[in-house]
Amino acid sequence: MPATEHRIAAATGTFGRTRAALEVAGGRTDSRLVFAVAGVCYLAAYLVTVGDLAVVDGGSGRLTVRTAADFSRAFVSLGFFRFDAIAILSAGPITYLFSPLNVLLGLSLGALVGANLALTYLGVVQPRACGLESSTGVLAGVPALVSGAACCGPTILLVVGVQASATIVTGFQFLVPIAFAMLIGSLLLVGRKVDPELL
Amino acid sequence: MSDTPTRRAVLAALGAGAFAGCLGGSDGSTTQRSPETEAPETGGDTTTASTATPERPPVPTVDERLPLPMEPASIEDNAVSGGPPKDGIPSIDDPSFVAAASASEWLNPGDPVFGVTRGEETKAYPQSILVSHEICNDVLDGTPVSVTYCPLTGTAMGFERGETTFGVSGRLVNNNLIMYDRATETWWPQVLSTAIPGPWREDPQIQSLSQFRVVWTTWERWSSAYPDTTVLSRNTGFANNYDGDPYGSYNPRSGYYQPDSGTMFRSLSDDDRLEPKRVVIGTRTSEGAAAFEKRALRDQKVLHGALGDTPIVGVYEPTLDTGYVYRNPDEEQYEYRDGQVVDAAGEAHDPTGLPGERLLALDAMWFAWSGFYPDTTLYASD
Repeated sequence: MPATEHRIAAATGTFGRTRAALEVAGGRTDSRLVFAVAGVCYLAAYLVTVGDLAVVDGGSGRLTVRTAADFSRAFVSLGFFRFDAIAILSAGPITYLFSPLNVLLGLSLGALVGANLALTYLGVVQPRACGLESSTGVLAGVPALVSGAACCGPTILLVVGVQASATIVTGFQFLVPIAFAMLIGSLLLVGRKVDPELL
Repeated sequence: MSDTPTRRAVLAALGAGAFAGCLGGSDGSTTQRSPETEAPETGGDTTTASTATPERPPVPTVDERLPLPMEPASIEDNAVSGGPPKDGIPSIDDPSFVAAASASEWLNPGDPVFGVTRGEETKAYPQSILVSHEICNDVLDGTPVSVTYCPLTGTAMGFERGETTFGVSGRLVNNNLIMYDRATETWWPQVLSTAIPGPWREDPQIQSLSQFRVVWTTWERWSSAYPDTTVLSRNTGFANNYDGDPYGSYNPRSGYYQPDSGTMFRSLSDDDRLEPKRVVIGTRTSEGAAAFEKRALRDQKVLHGALGDTPIVGVYEPTLDTGYVYRNPDEEQYEYRDGQVVDAAGEAHDPTGLPGERLLALDAMWFAWSGFYPDTTLYASD
């Protein structure tokens, strides 16, 4: 369509190029699918690491819902960007603790991971836009997953076998902000390399 | 086409990161009281100045102060953040209880429970619930109490709380829960059971809490011994999944609870007479501290020892798989025969009823006990 091509051709600067690339990604069914699948998978992984989503043995097949007595618990921080839940949903082997703020964080991070992956996918399938290098954005989402596992006390360290010093505990506070910064940065780094005329 | 990132791009990324940082919130170290606190102020002749020391402590205390491994201020220096902020781990302040038959639907026979009998009441507090709350503010036989559990030190202890409630401060010392009372926000490390200075109350009276015995046993044993027991309900009012233990498992033992595993935070103990998580039954008074390795007590049934200069004896109690410690001033030599503890004259006693004064004892992981009581004696397997 002439109007879109004109806009893309006019895109300059890092933000402009990134936005142009994202627009192309958003306009194609295949890259939209990559975005959605990646985003949902990351959200699920995030909810598992913060402890909201669990798979346990047994459980009845029916869906049961129980709500907390005090909904203001949704705003209570449990440490390291994890927030309390206000409802428990169980269905079969799955137990899900619904925490609105955890979902918000997970969706935001998942959207960034999905966008990174969608641009990477475009770079792979569209040789004309060979300016798109493979994105390291997916790895940028890892810090947030680690911080999620560090919810109530750095239990992730138990798995790794490292003792939590005060420095480590302080460092854990930065994992989610670092993840956001890295994901956005990665997106921009990929976007600025796009030559809009190749799209 | 320039290859260097524009300054704008870098600033934008940093700005987004900083914005995300705002979502974190404080760790509760300010003096802002949590809004859901409804604990009434204690009575007494408190002066109007907020920095004046009230004449009465906020919670019931005992005359004899328990031993501390170092000056109270140094204990505060050794406190670290465990991760969650104040009340991030929410205490159960309005517990409800269910009958034993109902609890058996979700409690396995080998699951640990913390049992208390007081007057006419018998209650069991499952480890699977308290691992997520650490403190249950309850009323037992008309007395306001707190049943507390610290997962990282394996200690379940009961205290009288008076007119206020205890909460989880979010800080730890020697990996142990530091409680705070909601009347004055004084810090009370659980095992030491003694007030120390803290950021929310810098100059408390250094006194020890009034403690009572909580028995660490299994659901099968407790419900067999006390069929009329009630059990803390899983309907705590919080949205928690009580099927999972974030640290490991007790039934069977795995993860953090394995005897030879490491501690999560720096331990105060460098005493390696036992593995760090090996369970001891310990007792302490102003005279000193003594510990009996629980496994040795199980095997040998009776262990004679000393607490400071006083002879003591530890005996195994098989129905609950626990131990009791008694003063033994006459250095009576006891033997275990057919479930009874028999003295040299042939007189038999139930393990729960020796003639000497019973000393308050608690289960603890060895690193926790030896870190808090470095001069403790230890009676263990050879």
